[in-house]
Amino acid sequence: MLAIFKTIPTHMDYKGQKLAEQIFQGIILISAVIGFVYGLIVEQFGWTVYIVLGGFAISCVLTLPPWPMYRKNPLSWQPVVPESSGESVQKPQESLKKKKHK
Amino acid sequence: MNTVLSRANSLFAFSLSVMAALTFGCFITTAFKDRRVPVDIRVSKVMLKNVDDFTGPRERSDLGFVTFDLSADLQPVFDWNVKQLFLYLSAEYATRTNSLNQVVLWDKIVLRGENTKLNLRDMKSKYFFFDDGNGLRANKNITLSLSWNVVPNAGILPLVAGSGHVSLPFPDAYETAKSY
Repeated sequence: MLAIFKTIPTHMDYKGQKLAEQIFQGIILISAVIGFVYGLIVEQFGWTVYIVLGGFAISCVLTLPPWPMYRKNPLSWQPVVPESSGESVQKPQESLKKKKHK
Repeated sequence: MNTVLSRANSLFAFSLSVMAALTFGCFITTAFKDRRVPVDIRVSKVMLKNVDDFTGPRERSDLGFVTFDLSADLQPVFDWNVKQLFLYLSAEYATRTNSLNQVVLWDKIVLRGENTKLNLRDMKSKYFFFDDGNGLRANKNITLSLSWNVVPNAGILPLVAGSGHVSLPFPDAYETAKSY
């Protein structure tokens, strides 16, 4: 049962994460501007809140699941070093880890 | 941003910040508005009694009865940052012992969406108009005025005095209480 959940992909690559953040910020800011203007016109602040909540819901749908468009730039990992001796395998992995944390 | 939960967290936090900014904008757009409107108060009947005031020392105090007409159009007061108005009619007068006495005689809550045109006839006061002595008798300058608290969605709670008040003289003699 748990194995089924583990097969669901939840991962985004780095560019996908940046794209997702830009998308939800844009949607919420646009809905905030629309809601503010509309609320000012109809003189109901409740409409402003509802429109921002609508933008929140749309951006939840668009950016919370890892849609394929956020996984277009996967990291190119180094090819697996063939295991020859125990010592020489450790070193490239460590240097790779350091690069990742930069 | 790499997991669903961290994205949900940043999305929620950003939405809340935007909402707070919008609320502040709502306050700013209405903060400097003049919320005074003209009010027409007319007093149709004034009666004065001298009765036992059980709340104070064992003396008889002045109790006034005022019947008034009130008309005002509160539509200009309402905007998108007003939830309700708390109207109250207060009487102000000076006595020998106190230079300023204020008594709230009547109040009313007007919610937004309700009828904003007040046109009240022959209203009796809701609360007792008790003086703390005998300052009402023959007091020639008792001023009734309508004020209101504006209850906003966000921001300050302004207290506005309506423009238009009425000054009335109180009678020189007490109404004799009928005993049944």
